[in-house]
Amino acid sequence: MIRKIQITILLILFFFPNKVHSLIEVDITRGNLNPLPIAVSPLFSDEKTINNGKTELEISDIGSEISKIVENNLRRSGLFNPLDKKAFLQKPDIAHFKPRFEDWGLIKAQALITGKVSLKEDKLKVEFRLWDVLAGREMVALAFTTVPNNWRRVGHIITDKVYERLTGEKGYFDTRIIYVSEKGPKTRRIKRLAIMDQDGFNTKYLTLGNELVLTPRFNPTNQMVTYLSYFKNLPRVYLLDIETGLQEVVGDFPGMTFAPRFSPDGKKIIMSFAKDGNSEIYTMDLENRIVEKLTNHPSIDTSPSFSPNGKYIAFNSDRSGYQQIYTMKSNGKSVKRISFGKGLYGTPVWSPRGDLIAFTKLHKGKFYIGVMRTDGTGERLLTENYYQEAPSWSPNGRVLIFYRETKSDSEGKGFSAKLWSIDLTGYNERLVETETDASDPSWSSLLSN
Amino acid sequence: MNLVKILKNAFLVVLFSFVLSACATKTKQMGSQLQGDVYTGTDTVEYLAKGVPDRVFFATNESILTTRSRDTLRKQAAWLRKNPSINVVLEGHADERGTREYNLALGERRANAAKDYLMTYGVSSNRISVISYGKERPVDSGSNPLSWSKNRRAVTVKAN
Amino acid sequence: MYKNLILSSGFHLFIIFFAMITLPFVAKKPLDIPPIVSIELIQITDETNIPYAPKAKKIIEKVKKEQEKLVSEQAPPKKIKKEKPDSIPLPDEKVEKIKKIEEKKQNPEKEDNRVKQVSEFEKDEMFDPNQIAALIDKSKEEMALTNEKSLEVSQSQDPTMNSKGLTLTEEDALKAQIFGCWSIPLGLPYNENLLVRIKLKLKPDGTVTKTEILDHARMNKPGQGFYKVLAESALRAIQLCQPLRVPSTGYERWKDLQLNFDAREMLEG
Repeated sequence: MIRKIQITILLILFFFPNKVHSLIEVDITRGNLNPLPIAVSPLFSDEKTINNGKTELEISDIGSEISKIVENNLRRSGLFNPLDKKAFLQKPDIAHFKPRFEDWGLIKAQALITGKVSLKEDKLKVEFRLWDVLAGREMVALAFTTVPNNWRRVGHIITDKVYERLTGEKGYFDTRIIYVSEKGPKTRRIKRLAIMDQDGFNTKYLTLGNELVLTPRFNPTNQMVTYLSYFKNLPRVYLLDIETGLQEVVGDFPGMTFAPRFSPDGKKIIMSFAKDGNSEIYTMDLENRIVEKLTNHPSIDTSPSFSPNGKYIAFNSDRSGYQQIYTMKSNGKSVKRISFGKGLYGTPVWSPRGDLIAFTKLHKGKFYIGVMRTDGTGERLLTENYYQEAPSWSPNGRVLIFYRETKSDSEGKGFSAKLWSIDLTGYNERLVETETDASDPSWSSLLSN
Repeated sequence: MNLVKILKNAFLVVLFSFVLSACATKTKQMGSQLQGDVYTGTDTVEYLAKGVPDRVFFATNESILTTRSRDTLRKQAAWLRKNPSINVVLEGHADERGTREYNLALGERRANAAKDYLMTYGVSSNRISVISYGKERPVDSGSNPLSWSKNRRAVTVKAN
Repeated sequence: MYKNLILSSGFHLFIIFFAMITLPFVAKKPLDIPPIVSIELIQITDETNIPYAPKAKKIIEKVKKEQEKLVSEQAPPKKIKKEKPDSIPLPDEKVEKIKKIEEKKQNPEKEDNRVKQVSEFEKDEMFDPNQIAALIDKSKEEMALTNEKSLEVSQSQDPTMNSKGLTLTEEDALKAQIFGCWSIPLGLPYNENLLVRIKLKLKPDGTVTKTEILDHARMNKPGQGFYKVLAESALRAIQLCQPLRVPSTGYERWKDLQLNFDAREMLEG
C-alpha cells in the first residue's frame, strides 16, 4: 500500500513537477451550522380535477396543505429552515416545471421543493421535485398515487424523500407514535392506548379506558402492539393487533408480567415477570410459545431492550444496590454493568443504528434523558427536567421521544404529562402536541420505504 | 439598673420561648410524620378493623419493613387469624420519583415484603394475593417529600 | 420456585382462560389503516432540467443513474420489515410514467444569465438589504456583511507576495468567506472520515469556471450517502460564495485552487 502511494507520488512528481508545487490547497474546517434554508413552494392544484373531487375531501387547497405538512416536518427536524412563503417570487405552477433559480437564490433558498396535485377517478396524485437552487438542478422527482384521505401521509413521505436526499440518512416522518392518553385526577388517572401520526394528527384511541394500560410498544412491522394492561386487576403483558383489534395475553405467567418489547425480528416478546418480590427477564416466542428465562438474580431486573441485530440485550437492574444499566448476550450470558456515572439509571433503549443506548438518569432530584455508547462510555445528557423518562428512538436513530411530567400540589394542580422530542445534538427540543395528556410514547418504524 | 436587668431577662425569656415554640411546632409537624424519609403519620391511613391500620410505609427505593411497619402487620395478621373467611390483596406502591417500569417491580417487592411478614405470623399464603401499581395510584398528588412518603406504601385491602 | 410456578400455573391458566373469554375491552371500532401510498419515479429527463453546459448534463445523467440505484437499493425490505408485505394490503400499484413535461429545450444564454444574476444579487445585498432579505434570517445577513468588511480590511493590508501559495491574510480572507457560505449538513455522523476535496478553476475576478470533486467515484458508491451530501453542500458553498475573494494580483498562482472541506471539527463540537 505504502509502496503504491510512493510510486504514484513519484509518477506525479515526474509528470507534473510544477503543478504539484503550484496547486494551492485551502482547508475549510468551519461553516455555519444554521439549518439549511429551503423554500417549500405550495404544491399547485390541478383545478379541474380537484374541483370534481372536492366534496369528498372538504379541503379547499390540498396542495398548499400538503406543503404545510412538509414545511412543518422540516422545521421540526431542526436541520432545515423553511423560508417564509411571502418572499416567494415565482408562482407554484411555473416553479414546478421550470424554477427560475435566480429568484429562489435571491431569497437565499439553497433548496426548493415544488409539486403538483391532481385528483382523478377518486385517486389523489401528487408529484414533487426537489431542486438544488445553487447548482441549478433537480435532485429528486417522484409521484405518488393514493386514496384522497391519505393526503397527510403523502406530505410525510415527501418529507422523508427530501430529508434523505439532503442529509444522506433515512427520514422518520411517515411514522406513527403509540402512546398512553391520560386524563382525570392524578390519584385516579384514566389511561387509554392511543395512536397518532408522528406530527400529532390523526389520533385514534385503541382502548376504552376501563382499565389501566401502560408502556405500549410497536412490533417491527407496526401492526402489533405489546403493552401492559390491568384487565381484571391482573397486570399482564398483552398483544394487540391494531388492524383487527384482536388481543391476547402473552404467556401463562402466574404473576405480574410487565415492561414488554419486541425482538428486532418481531418473533419474540421480551419482558419482566415478577414473582415473590423478584423480577426476572423472560422472552416468549410468539410462534411456538416457548418461554425462556434470561436472568437469575434476587434483584429487580427489568426494562429489557434488544440490540437491533438481536444479539444483545440492555436492561435495568438494581443488583449493585441501585438502578443501573447492564448488557448481556441474548441467551442471558455475559452480564456486564455499563453505567457507572453518579445517580440512578433506567429505561435503556438500544438505538436502531446499534451504536448508542438511550436512558433515563435520576441524579440529585433531577431527571435526564441521555445516550451512551453500548459499552457505557461517552455518556451525554441531552435534557434535564423535574421528571421525564422512557425515551423511544425515531427509526433513523436521530431523535428521541419521551414524556415529561410537571410538579403539582397536593390537590394535583399543576400536573401535566406531555410528549417531547429531542435530537442527538440536544438542542432541538420540541413539544409533541397531543389531544390529551400523554405518556409512554413508542415510535414506529417507517410505514413505507 | 435592676429594672433594666429584669426587662432584659424577660425579653430574653420571651424570645427563647418563641424560638422554642417555633422549634416545637416544626418538630411536631415533621417529626410526627416522617422518620428518616418513612412516613409515620396517619393522614392517609384507613383501618381494616378498630386498631388495625391498613398500610405500611417504606423509605425511598427500599422494601425493608420498619419496626413500626412490622407492628402494623402483626396487628393485621392477628385480625386475619381471627377472621379466617377474609382474604386480602396486598397492593404495592411507589412514589413518582422513579421510572415507571422499575417502580412496578419495586411495588411488587414491597407488597411481597408485607405478604411474607403476614405469612410468618400465621396467615396462609392462599389468603393473600399481591398486586403492584408502581407509581400509578398515588394517594397524595403533591410533588414534595412528604407526599412521596405517603405514596411509598403497601396497602392491605379486603378482597371479599 | 419452579414447583410454585407449576402449581399455580394451573390456577392461573384458569384465570387467563376466563380472561380470554371476557376480554373484549378494546375499543371496538376497527382502526382504519390507510393503504400504503404507491410510489413511482418521474424520469429525470433533459426536458425537466434547466439549461446546462454539456458538463452539467453529464452530472445530471450521473444523478439519474444514482436515482435508479437508490430505488433498487430501497426495493429489498429491511431485515426487520420482513413480515410487511403479507400484512399490509397494498392498493393497486400502477406504475404509470409521468408524461414528459412540455418544455422547450434550453437556450444557451440561460447559463450566462444566471451568473449575471448572482452578481446582481450581491449588489442587492450590499445596497438594499431591507427589502426581501428582511423576511429572511437577518442575523445571517449581518454576519455576511461583517465578514465582507473584515475582508476588505485584510485585503488592503495584503503586503508582500509569496511566490508560493497564498499569504496568511489571503488565505484567511478566502476561508472566512467560505465559512459564511457553507451550511454544514447537520445530520452527518461525526465519527466518519468525511473529507471532500474540490479542485477549482478560477477567473481573475474570482468567478469559478470549473469545479471538480477529487475522489468523485466515492459519490456514487453505495453506503456513501453522507459523502455525497457533504460534497453537494461544499459545491453549494462555492456556488453561493461566487465570486471568491481572491487576491487582486498573482492570478497565475491561484487560477487553480483546491479546497478541502472537512466538517468533523464542527460536528464534534
